[in-house]
Amino acid sequence: MKILIIEDEVELLISISNFLTRETFICELAESYAKADDKLAIYEYDIILLDITLPDGNGIELLRSIKKHQKKAGVIIISAKNSLDDKIKGLDLGADDYITKPFYLSELNSRIKAVLRRKQFDGTSILTYNEISVNTESRTVIIKGSAIILTKKEYDLLLFFIINKNRVLTKEAIAEHLWEDSIDMADTYDFIYTHLNNLRKKIRAAGGADYIKTLYGMGYKFTDQ
Amino acid sequence: MKFLKKINLNYLIPLTLVLLIVSVAGYFILRIIITYGAKERLLSKEYLVEQQIKNTGEIPNLHPVIEVQKTEIKPDINPSFKKVTIWNEMEKEDEKFIEYSSGINIGSSWYIVKIRQSSFENEDILLILALTLFILLLSAFMISFLSARRMNRTVWSGFERNLHEIENYSLRINKDISLERSDIEEFERLNIAVRDFTSRLKSDYLMLKEFTENASHEIQTPLSVALMNLEEILQHDIKEDVFKKVVTVINSLKRLTKLNQSLILLAKIDNMQFEKDTEISLNEIILRKKEDLSAFIDAKNLDVEIRDEGNFLIRMDVYLSEILIGNLFTNAVDHNITNGIIRVFIKPGFLQICNTGENHALTDKNIFNRFVSGNKKSPGLGLAIVRQICETHNLDVHYVKDELHCFTIRIKT
Repeated sequence: MKILIIEDEVELLISISNFLTRETFICELAESYAKADDKLAIYEYDIILLDITLPDGNGIELLRSIKKHQKKAGVIIISAKNSLDDKIKGLDLGADDYITKPFYLSELNSRIKAVLRRKQFDGTSILTYNEISVNTESRTVIIKGSAIILTKKEYDLLLFFIINKNRVLTKEAIAEHLWEDSIDMADTYDFIYTHLNNLRKKIRAAGGADYIKTLYGMGYKFTDQ
Repeated sequence: MKFLKKINLNYLIPLTLVLLIVSVAGYFILRIIITYGAKERLLSKEYLVEQQIKNTGEIPNLHPVIEVQKTEIKPDINPSFKKVTIWNEMEKEDEKFIEYSSGINIGSSWYIVKIRQSSFENEDILLILALTLFILLLSAFMISFLSARRMNRTVWSGFERNLHEIENYSLRINKDISLERSDIEEFERLNIAVRDFTSRLKSDYLMLKEFTENASHEIQTPLSVALMNLEEILQHDIKEDVFKKVVTVINSLKRLTKLNQSLILLAKIDNMQFEKDTEISLNEIILRKKEDLSAFIDAKNLDVEIRDEGNFLIRMDVYLSEILIGNLFTNAVDHNITNGIIRVFIKPGFLQICNTGENHALTDKNIFNRFVSGNKKSPGLGLAIVRQICETHNLDVHYVKDELHCFTIRIKT
């Protein structure tokens, strides 16, 4: 999977690219409008991460040219502005998703995978992790051949874990993924705990292993190691 | 004290004094003049009487005006004026006279001459004159008083309008102050001073606002870099205490981010960067928010009752309407107690959200202020945003704490 990251802040560019490389993506970097334009003319990408505020040009313009020349690519807009206008404009112009700075890398990962699934680049909508298999189209989970019934939040949680397997996730990152940042309440974390426990119970009841490791009471990791 | 009242007091008191003094003094002066004239006339009459006796030998007698009495010896009278009262047979009353009496010598005879003039007429004239003076002065004062009052209405009306404009002026509304031109120099000077002052304030305000907005945006990028790197540190095999510290730092930075986003949002509402472009039914949003927050509502076992008596429609940006209702509803859930209640009452132009909750010292006056919060975890911008949205959308928002904590929004009439 080839990703083009267009981001003028070099530090951010390197962090994102390091992370995505580890996630086995092939990353190309562009820190300016001109560079991005050059690359887009030559190569084909599966995913393009586009920061719409670039010093030498408007990211929205770039989006237009992407949609013309790279019809297959999934585009995720990265913006420093939590602005609905930009979001609607971006999505109208054919962007697949919109993420506001600052974001968790695990969240970015989850968004990229969601776009890839939608675009069907993997050729499948089935995600498997050992004995757990998730059908993202029908939103069903099958463990050792039998389906388990999950609530929406439990399903979202499981998917988030599988996509970010072997990665430490803080409670906050999970909360933000499940409820977005519009809900900023004191007792959010208790719910994560409840949902997590229910999810664990359901997986175990179906004969699955408990892959969710708690880290010092502050974070979780989905792993079989 | 109103300016006019002040002026009136300042000049009416001395004017009244002057009026009294001038009238009284006028009365006395006139009296002296008239008395003097009367005496002159008496003297000239005495001369006429003397001439008549000399020329004709007739002794004129015209009671009570002229009385002449012949004596043989020189009468013991010094020529003098005095006031006398004489019975008037015709009018059956006492009449006052000024009397001049003297002894004159014609040939070998002596005469006692008493010439009188009724002082009653004099007094009358005097009174009429004094009264005329008084009325004259009084009407002059009345005219100046009334014209001052009328001038107050015309001259001050421009001033009043400008004052009203200044009272209602807000820097938040991106509009120059418009003051009515005045042909009175002092007022025009004031207008110019106010205009200069507000334009200076406005440019400072805009600069500050722009600065806040730019600073807020610029802060997002370094925050992103810091958060990403910290998230990566967590992926390494690190000790518990380091792990906890990193998570604490991440959470603090996240809070800073949220705070910053709220400030950007406030600045944007301030700057009118949201269009009132969509007809929105707040009822629908309420129902959706109840659904979104169901997990939190269930966790506290809250009893939510929504009384819907018709659509509250308003033109607003979609995103802002979500934030407005979201913040209010979240507030009602977040500050609620276990097994508490939430009562929502909505009808056209009116929305009330009430909830049970802990007692606190916040009131309608300060609960909407920035960085004022009922609990320590929230930065206290949610309700500030609510107020800001209301202020820019012709809505009144109020908080009342009774048995329940109630927030009421209604369209301004």
